[in-house]
Amino acid sequence: MHNIWLIAKREYLERIRARAFMIMTILIPVLIAGLIFGSVLINGKRGNSSRIAVVTPDAQFGTDLQSELQSDKDRKISVEVISPAVATTRTTLNEQLKGKDLDGYLWVTDPAPGQKRPTFEWVPKSQADITTKGDIAQAVRRVLTREGLTHSGMGASDVDALLAPIDLDSSQAGKSDSAVAAFGIAYTGFFLMYLVIVQYCMNVGRSILEDKTSRIFEVLLVSVRPSELFVGKVLGVGSVGLTQVGIWFIAAAVAMQFGLLSSGTKLPVTASQAIFFVIFFLLGFILYSSIGSAFAAMTSSQQELQQMNTFLMMPIIACSAIIFRVVTDSDGPIALVFSFIPFCTPLIMFTRIAVHQPPAWQIALAIADLILTILAVLWVATRIYRVGILMYGKRPNLPEILRWLKYS
Amino acid sequence: MPIVELENVRKAYDSKVAVHGLSIKIEPGTMFGLLGPNGSGKTSSIRMMIGITVPDSGTVSLFNQPFERKLLNRVGYLPEERGLYKKMKVIEQLVFLGQLHGLDAATALKRSHAWCERMEITEAIPKKTEELSKGMQQKIQFIAALLHEPDLIIMDEPFSGLDPVNATLLQDTLVDLRKEGKAILFSTHRMDQVEKLCDNIALISGGKLVLSGGMREVKSRYPRNRVQITFEGSDAFLQHPAIAEAKNYSGQAEIKLRPSADNEADAQAILAQAITMARISRFEVMEPTLEEIFIEAVGGKVDA
Repeated sequence: MHNIWLIAKREYLERIRARAFMIMTILIPVLIAGLIFGSVLINGKRGNSSRIAVVTPDAQFGTDLQSELQSDKDRKISVEVISPAVATTRTTLNEQLKGKDLDGYLWVTDPAPGQKRPTFEWVPKSQADITTKGDIAQAVRRVLTREGLTHSGMGASDVDALLAPIDLDSSQAGKSDSAVAAFGIAYTGFFLMYLVIVQYCMNVGRSILEDKTSRIFEVLLVSVRPSELFVGKVLGVGSVGLTQVGIWFIAAAVAMQFGLLSSGTKLPVTASQAIFFVIFFLLGFILYSSIGSAFAAMTSSQQELQQMNTFLMMPIIACSAIIFRVVTDSDGPIALVFSFIPFCTPLIMFTRIAVHQPPAWQIALAIADLILTILAVLWVATRIYRVGILMYGKRPNLPEILRWLKYS
Repeated sequence: MPIVELENVRKAYDSKVAVHGLSIKIEPGTMFGLLGPNGSGKTSSIRMMIGITVPDSGTVSLFNQPFERKLLNRVGYLPEERGLYKKMKVIEQLVFLGQLHGLDAATALKRSHAWCERMEITEAIPKKTEELSKGMQQKIQFIAALLHEPDLIIMDEPFSGLDPVNATLLQDTLVDLRKEGKAILFSTHRMDQVEKLCDNIALISGGKLVLSGGMREVKSRYPRNRVQITFEGSDAFLQHPAIAEAKNYSGQAEIKLRPSADNEADAQAILAQAITMARISRFEVMEPTLEEIFIEAVGGKVDA
């Protein structure tokens, strides 16, 4: 025990004093803020101003569509109506598309005999611009509905009233901002945990490899057991991670106290969210850093280690690929399945808890599942570690590693 | 009471047998030389003495007791490949390693300072390890192995990379420690140092013990059939029929005599002839050097 404490303390002090710690402590919040504000900014303003043309034989339809599209406050679309088309219209428009003066044009043809609706042809500058396409399709549908309603004798004001956008008011539930806040905390917590787990589990790996290549292990192993070294290292580096997160929490609290954060932005982190963050960070960190340590013990250069770490990153990347689904549907099948895959449990389960507390049995089961996996991983990792840290040169192949497991 | 005793120890890694039924014994107050070409099993044997690996069969005893980890607090180890935390300050490093060996921080600090003075590196104390020269780092490592006043000191190539002044300093320190009754095991390729320092030697090759015993006793097993002559003048006497092999290093002749009933007489005959053609400033009849014994014992086959 004493040795574990000494090793963890050494590891902790060396890291806390390093300049990299200070830099990362400042950089990561900036990065997360950038990510979140960036995605809000991008999602909030779908595309910037665009310019399209509508070619239609029906001039009334053209102007209706124009006013419909230009009424959208979230984006600026300038619409040019060409009615009717002349022989050179299409070539001119195509040239404009190439010259990037135009983002796309809608070509409307009168209904074929026996059909009620005209046909619509959308020619975009870039096929990838699916938001503009969606906006136009919606606008066209609204215009057609309006026309149909007017046609069947409804007054213009009635039509407007019928088609007015609906404002869904969720403030009646008595927790006005909590949904938005929960999303914010879920996202922030997810990215925070993501970055901290990745960073610190790589740190453990790198530090083990450093000690292996500097042959310090040979000296230490006279007085310390490999398992003590292993545990001490993981604990030392993990505490640095917790310290860092603690600094962020305190800094955020102080900032709010002095109203440095923009007015109205409160971070109503509940105690249970904070506790679960720490629990899942620690479990996730132990899981990933155990594997990282075994990888580090197997390799003998940073490049090799980096290649191995790619495997380690895969489940984490998978988590970030589905995080949007988890936040929007925190009890849905995807969220449910992924929160029980041990490698995804820390990130996904925490996010679910932050959005909306899942049933207690699910949390308990996920944690139990995770702990069992950690024990299994530790069993294998410590065996690889014990042998690996004294092996230099060629990277071992799988049969060799399997033999290591049997060494006493 | 032997400090270390290996009895019929065997260790295999996968298909390769690193150590084959090795038995050695080291007594307190002696210096023991563990010799052998690269890859002969020296490091594997040492690793079993300090519990980094466990023998497949045979027994390891420390201080007359079966091996136990807590006995390692009485062992100091200097590995062949030096390892120190590069970013750590020297003094913190020494205290840390001392604490791992069971010292409290205050004692470790006090002894570190005393040892740094003894090793003449007080100016290195406040520096980071990576700022030091290789020789200085070596001395730090040396101190780290001795800080807890071990009764058994194991050193793998302790003098490599040191200049003659520092090598002598370390040598003298080891001799002092032997006087205090410590047992010292060192493994090296530098046969001249072994010859000068060690009381007992064991030579292993291919994981097996080839030769062992007291230094004098081992050497006396070999005939005194080496002659060294320092001369000035003609070297024609090197054609003498009693000479099996002769090397002339510009006035320093190293002669190996043919096997005969009386090597001493052959040597005198060569001297008598040499005097007629050259001025002799030194003439010595001796056993083969340890280096020659080494090369002969391992059959000249030294891989890498």
